[in-house]
Amino acid sequence: MIAVKYFGAIAEKTKSQGEEFSFSNMPLKDLLSVLKYKYELDLLSFSIAINQKIMQDTSSYILKSNDIVALLPPFAGG
Amino acid sequence: METARYNRQIILPEVGIDGQQKLQQAKVLIVGAGGLGVAVLPYLAAAGIGEIGIIDDDRIEVTNLQRQVIYKSSSVGKSKVLEAKAMALELNPSIKINAFTEKLDSKNAILLFEQYDIIVDATDNLDTKYLINDACGVTNKPFVYGSVYKFEGQVSVFNYENGPTYRCLFPDESNEVKNCNDAGVMGISVGIIGMFQANEVLKMVLGIGDLLSGKLLVYNMLNNEQQKFEFSKKAMHAIDLLAFENKYSSIETATIEISAALALEQMHHPEVLFLDVRNADEYPKITIKNGIQIPLDRLESELHQLDVNATLLVFCQSGIRSKKAVEILRNNNFANAKSIAGGAKALDKIDVYKVFETL
Repeated sequence: MIAVKYFGAIAEKTKSQGEEFSFSNMPLKDLLSVLKYKYELDLLSFSIAINQKIMQDTSSYILKSNDIVALLPPFAGG
Repeated sequence: METARYNRQIILPEVGIDGQQKLQQAKVLIVGAGGLGVAVLPYLAAAGIGEIGIIDDDRIEVTNLQRQVIYKSSSVGKSKVLEAKAMALELNPSIKINAFTEKLDSKNAILLFEQYDIIVDATDNLDTKYLINDACGVTNKPFVYGSVYKFEGQVSVFNYENGPTYRCLFPDESNEVKNCNDAGVMGISVGIIGMFQANEVLKMVLGIGDLLSGKLLVYNMLNNEQQKFEFSKKAMHAIDLLAFENKYSSIETATIEISAALALEQMHHPEVLFLDVRNADEYPKITIKNGIQIPLDRLESELHQLDVNATLLVFCQSGIRSKKAVEILRNNNFANAKSIAGGAKALDKIDVYKVFETL
């Protein structure tokens, strides 16, 4: 099981705070392409945290069971 | 110091008289006098931060009043920072407030940031956040970030003791994100995030607790969930003054002035030449290896001595003739000429060896 959490404008697009996927050992980049396609996230940029740590390089990470993925866009309001 | 005013915080062992003195000596710049800025300002003022700058060129609009709660209905149309200054001084007359009725840009950021210890980002757009980040990198100042999207807020501390920066967290500058004007926001939301920012400032000054350096706090006002994400520094995002100028300034808009301290830091850069436009008999003598002296009245006829592509840091006695010299140089295609603010007097005051130790 992998949990994905959404924030800011991303959560608005996905219309939820997060969801769970029942697979593991999947490349992170594959999950991201699925989400980008499903929710039309292409125009949004965001940083990605795995288990509360922001990833510098998302291209080679393989998701493990119980990973929590967070999609964090910057906010601008003030 | 008015100890009675601050008694309830002085009696905290974490603050004490020593802590109160640290607060009194601190200089904090708040960029933006909108929802975040007006939440941060009264608490820093009341706590006794000795000098607070606030910069914003906006005037108060009726749509601001719902969240920018220090402004009165009768003040619509007035300058935000002047109203904010009056409010803060009424709250605490023993501190100094500097109000700047201008917009932060690449031309004023460096000189302004150099006057303060901590920069608070209370802006409402990403461009200014990257500008603050880069100017903090050049001037080596920490900045306390806060930002809101509808019912969610982010808080972090960047560039603290060479720690991670805004670019380490959000490297993609091409982002477009809605601000409060477009997305909508409750006054409470900016208030809560502003409180988190003010708290980080006070902790930083007092040296207590754990700062949000290398950590992004995300707070959700609807379900009260609070999460922290860790991030680390990326070396490639370090920025120096020349890189800053190249990034932000075109030839026409490049800043005219540079501070003496920053000028001296450029001393060993191979493309930098120090140009003394005083007459040969003027004191103090400033001896710099990459230096040349051409008195102002001979400058135009001696331009052939200078390399058009070099960064020319020009100085005179106090910084007035050198500005004229920079005008002459720019008119003759020396795009990278700058006048050293305060001139030879300011350069002479800086202990050159001390500057080098930090390089």
